[in-house]
Order: sequence, then structure tokens, then C-alpha cells
Amino acid sequence: MSTELRFVEEYPYPPDRVWRALTTAEAIADWLMPNNFEPRVGHRFEMRTKPAPGFDGIVKCEVTVLDPPKQLAFTWRGGGLDTVATFTLEPIDTGTRLTLVHSGFKGMKGWMVSKILGGGWRSKILRVYLPAAVGRIGPGGRYTAATLANQVSCSHE
Amino acid sequence: MPRPAISSDVFRAVADETRRAMLDRLREEELPVLALAEDFDLSLPAISQHLRVLKEAGLVADRQEGRQRMYRLTPRPLTEIFEWVSHYEDFWRGRLSALRRHLKEKS
Repeated sequence: MSTELRFVEEYPYPPDRVWRALTTAEAIADWLMPNNFEPRVGHRFEMRTKPAPGFDGIVKCEVTVLDPPKQLAFTWRGGGLDTVATFTLEPIDTGTRLTLVHSGFKGMKGWMVSKILGGGWRSKILRVYLPAAVGRIGPGGRYTAATLANQVSCSHE
Repeated sequence: MPRPAISSDVFRAVADETRRAMLDRLREEELPVLALAEDFDLSLPAISQHLRVLKEAGLVADRQEGRQRMYRLTPRPLTEIFEWVSHYEDFWRGRLSALRRHLKEKS
């Protein structure tokens, strides 16, 4: 059963360049969140976003894998989550393929992720039920980490 | 900041491991209460209590068939769960697009 979120992106830059963007505090602040990251296994750092009910706005992290320029992993804890984010880089002809896996969803959240991403529930939900739900999502709404935390905080777990 | 519509009933219903397993079981077929109680090795009052929570969340529906009460899955409220996961996906997609912009601007 899949209990992870997986994303694959290709960027027209060499792995070294992408690696720097993933492992430099200033760069991470630019594309993800303000932080005190250091490229060292075991380093504990925090990323800060807007607080929300049930979430103090702090994502607590610890570097667990640092294998330049191939793989970076850190824990992602806060707002009721105890998960891991893993970034894997591969050189390709056109630059770099980045695979991001957000894993470790347990209990109810693991079930929710697996129901949606595996086992065919998604296709049924998309086909039959989602049209009714789409109306409730604001037009062009971009969801930030704070909104995300909001969701997590109302999950009763 | 838009706060998505999430019914606490649905989250409460799926917060329990037994109820999640019951939903998975009912996804396969419609079942009478007795069969569910046997499958999960629970007393009738215990299984009825779980079914009541699922019914209040709109995740199961029941009907009388002879002397048995049959339960079936009605997954529509799971769209709220779909939204929960979708927002997560949107978050990362947004961040990965920001990474693309970052690479473009700083290269």
C-alpha cells in the first residue's frame, strides 16, 4: 500500500546546480521556507511558516541523508506529522531529474494517502465524486504551508 | 486564507483503525451486521457502535433485508479526504515550481 507522496520534476540545470539549491539555507528560504539548514547529517533545523490553529508554524527537521549531488533526506515533523522528505537527483541529457518522496504517513493519515493514491479509490473518486467537490475549492487558490497545517491540525490524530 | 470544508465527522470516522478496516471490507461487498461482527471478532454492540459512527459520517448506508440489516459503503464523503491529500500535493507542486523559478533566476 502506498503511503507516500511522490513527485518527479526535470530541471534544465546540472545536478550540482540543483543540489546547491537544495542544500543552501538561503536558497531553501527562497523556494521553500525560512530555515537554519546546514548540510551535515544529524543537523537539526527548523523551517518557519505562518502558525495556524493546532500548528505553531514550525516544521522540525533533521538531516538524515546527505550524499552530494545525489540524495538529501530530512525528517519533517510538526502539525501532527512525523514524516520524511527525500530528494533524489539523477543526471539526464537535458539536466537533472528530481524525485521528491514525502513518506512516513502513519495511522489515519497513512490510510488517507494510500486510499487516494493507491487501490483505485482515486479513479472512482475522480470520476464520480470529485465534480461535486470542485465547487468548494476556491478559484486559482494556492495553498501555502499554513493552509496545509490547518488541514493537518483538524485531523484529530 | 481559505479554510477548506472538512467535516470533523469524516475524520473522526476514519481516525479509528477498526472502522478503516470496516470501510475496506465494505468496499468489497454489502454485508449484514452479523458477518461484520464475525469478520472483526467484535460483539454486536461494538460493531453497531462503529457502524453508527460511519453512518453519521455518511460513509455507510443500511437497509433491511428480511431479518438482517445490510450495510454498504457510500464513499462520497471521502472526497473531503481527497481534498486533504490534494492540498498536500498542491503544496509540494507549488514549492517545486518555486524551485524552478529559483534555479532560473539564480543561474
